[in-house]
Parts: sequence; C-alpha cells; structure tokens
Amino acid sequence: MTPSLATHIAFVVLAALAVLSGWRVFCTDSMVRASFFLLLSFIAVGGIMILLTAEYLGVAMFFMMAVEMMVMALFMVMFMMNPAGLNPMKMVHQERVAIVAGVAVFGVLSAVAVLGDFPDMPLPAEHAPVISLGRELLGDSMLVFETAGVVLLTTMVGVVVLSSRRGRYGRADEGSVPPGLEPGGEPAGRPKESEEEKGEEGGHAHQHHH
Amino acid sequence: MILDQLILPWLLAWLMAGLGAYLVAVLDRWMATGSTQAGSVWLAPLASAAWLLTQQATTTEAPDAGAWRLAPALYLALAATGLALVPWSPTLVGVDLATSLVLWGSLEALATVVIFLHGWSANSHLALIGAYRYVALGISYLLVSMFVLIGVALPAESLRWTEVVAAQESLWHVVSQPLGLPLFLVVGLGLTFWGPLDLADSTDLSTGTAVERSGPPRLVWALARAAMLVAFSAIAATAFLGGWMGPWLPGPAWLLLKSLAVLVVLLWLGRRLPRLAPERCLTLMWVVLLPLSFVDLIWAGAVALWMA
Repeated sequence: MTPSLATHIAFVVLAALAVLSGWRVFCTDSMVRASFFLLLSFIAVGGIMILLTAEYLGVAMFFMMAVEMMVMALFMVMFMMNPAGLNPMKMVHQERVAIVAGVAVFGVLSAVAVLGDFPDMPLPAEHAPVISLGRELLGDSMLVFETAGVVLLTTMVGVVVLSSRRGRYGRADEGSVPPGLEPGGEPAGRPKESEEEKGEEGGHAHQHHH
Repeated sequence: MILDQLILPWLLAWLMAGLGAYLVAVLDRWMATGSTQAGSVWLAPLASAAWLLTQQATTTEAPDAGAWRLAPALYLALAATGLALVPWSPTLVGVDLATSLVLWGSLEALATVVIFLHGWSANSHLALIGAYRYVALGISYLLVSMFVLIGVALPAESLRWTEVVAAQESLWHVVSQPLGLPLFLVVGLGLTFWGPLDLADSTDLSTGTAVERSGPPRLVWALARAAMLVAFSAIAATAFLGGWMGPWLPGPAWLLLKSLAVLVVLLWLGRRLPRLAPERCLTLMWVVLLPLSFVDLIWAGAVALWMA
C-alpha cells in the first residue's frame, strides 16, 4: 500500500501543526492557553497516527488528551490560585538545562530517524489494526492489562468515596477549622472565637450543647 | 471516489445539521407554546436567526482572540463530524472507520474542551463560571457515556457503528441493555446542556458561557447545540434502537424515524425534568448514574456471554 498524494499532504500539514503548536506552548503566557496548544499538538500527532493506520491509537489519543489537558488546565489553575488562568506567567523555567536537554533529545531522535533501519514491508490487505491491537493487549498480557483496569477502577471509586463530602459521621467539612499560622496556633483567617461568642451568641450558649 | 468519499458525506452531515437544527428549534418552540398563538412555529426560528445575523457581534475587553472566535465554529464542527459517523444503511455511511465508536467518544471529550474555551475566552466572570461548571459536570457525563458505549460495543465485538447496528439483528440493545438508553439520554442532555442539565448556559448565570455572545457567533452557538442534539439522537438510535433496521421502509427512512423519536423524547425530557442545583446534579451523576452505568456494563457483558 503506497501512500497517496493526499496522505503526503496531510502528513506535512499535520506535522507542521504539531511542531508549531508545540512551540507555541512555550511562547504563551497563560497556563490554559499552553494546555490547549499542547492539546492541539497532540491532536495533530493523533492524526499522523491515523495516517500510519494505527487507527485506534490515533482516535484514542484525541479522546484521552482532550480530557487530560482539560483536567490538567483546571488543576493548574486551582493550585496556582489564578482563577481565570489569565495572569501572565512565564512558561519556561531552567532555560539552560532545558536548552541542553532539548538539543540532546533532538540529536538522538534525528540520529534514530537518519541512521535507523526502518522496516518497509507493505501492509497486508486484510490488516485490521484494532483487532491486532486487541490481541496484543488481551492475548498474552491479558492478566496484566485486566488487573491494571480493575485497579484503576477501584482507585476511581475510592477517590470518589474519599473526596465525597458526605460520610458516615456527617459532612466532611463540618466543624473543620483552617490550620493555624504557627503550629497549634489560632485558625488562620477566622475571627477570634471569644469575640464571636460574646458578640452573637453570648446569652444562649446552653442551647448549643450536643 | 471523490463523490463517494468526500462530497456525499459532507453534504449528508451538513444537510442533517442544518435541517436538524431547524427542526429542533421548531419542535422546541412548539412544545414550549403548545400552539401557534405566539406567531408561526415554522417562521419564528428563521426570524430570530435573521435577527441575530443582522446584529453586531460585540466583543469583550481583551478576550482570548483565537478561542473566542473559534469556539462556536468548533462546536458546530464536532456536531457535523458526529453526524458524519451515523450509518444510514449498511452502505450509506459518511465516515465508516474501524473505530467510529471511539471517535464519537472523543467528540464528546473534545466538546468539553470547546465549551470550556467558549466560556473562558470571553474574559468575563459569568461566562467563566459557566465554563468551570461545565467541566465539573462534563467529566461525569463522559464517564457514564464511556461505560454505556463499551456496553454497546461488547456484543458487536467491534468499535464500528455499522457492526454495532448489525449486532442488533435479533434483539435491539434497548431491550437487551435496558439501562443503556436512559443513561445515554442523560448524557445527551448534558452534552448539549439542554433542558434541566443546561447548567453551563443557565439563566442563573444569564446564559453562562454565551453571556457575552451576540450576533452571528451567538447564532452559530445555538445552531451548534441544536445540531449536536440531532447528532446525539441519531447516534442513540444507532446504538440502541437498531439503526437502519426495520420492515417495509428502506433503511435511511427507519433511521430518520428513530432519530426523530429520540429527539422528541430528549426535547420533551428537557421541558419536563426538574432542574437540580449544580452540586446536587454532580452528586447525582457520581453517586447514582455512574454506578448504574457500571451495572449496565456488567449486564451487557453477561448478556453477551450468554448469547455467545
């Protein structure tokens, strides 16, 4: 099966898109933009995988990267306390190390591409990539694969249970206090307990006994 | 070859998107007013579309220019891609990939990104809240949808929509997997944020992610949501109602009828179901619907084993 002209054009366009959007990840100044440029780059790579007739892997790439980048963007925004993800910030750090690592990886990959010995056998006409991938995963490595699947599912259920606000003894955040600024100190960001008592519920504290 | 593989799927998908979106607008208005007293149900959507087209498309202060322009168009493109995957008959399919079922799943995942970008790029607080709200809810719909879709693919032993339909020759999935269709309909309402699950674009955020939208982009956004609802109905009819199968009529006619039935049910549910507060909705998704989708998957596996 020799690739058609359309395949060649599609490859060049997708490869350019992947490289350009991958480069933009480091030029932008917003975490959200960076995540979605990375997503665009991954989508282009997924397209190239489809061109290589790795259909399932290509489509799964869209699927997984879409959710993954979305969740990543969200978590970065949450942890950076940058509610809109729009505060300008630098996307590159440790530039010297990064430049050295980048040049080294580029050298290794180009060496593989130029010097490597790639198979050039034509694909058999009845080649079914989804089925062969399924056999690869569920044939010899069935036990490993299924175990990993069940473990992941259990983890998911566990995380949902642990992060649920409702528990056997009531809501998880009920009665919780923020940690103090020094060990064992007053809860941070709360009005002084005594003032609150006096000001609001002074006369009828006995009603609140449990 | 060019006619078959490029032009026909393109025409099929866009015709379906355009006519379907119009039909959604007409049906929804008809269900809302119950009569023709508030002007003609046939002309009203066209009138509001024309009105939006003549309006100025305003912008906000410092939006994310690319995403702000592209988001409605991208959502429409996702809907059209979804419509291209629908098999009308064993041979009349826009795009018949070996992984078309996974591609539908990835469209649902990419829709989350597009809806988030639509709200985020506006640089306006209500739109941003809508966007975050959709992500929180969208991930839970996605999981439910994934398990339901795996259940559909199991008896077919294939990820191709045409083979999913072919596997329903003896018994439709709506009967053999009774939990599947109801769960999938909830996913559909969530994906297009329609009716009670309209939490990302709800009125408490004064239309949420679309709050700063006006003019043609607003029209495209509304069109895209309606087209996505149509694509979803056609996929649901394919997955659970036996797609093109049926006596007397030709295949495409059956698919059209079944999709229409699902669409009407979705619109009716959208009008009838009560709306939940977002946090309660999230609890419902994770605590009730997600375990139900596990049950559906186990059920589908057991039935597939028993039938085989």
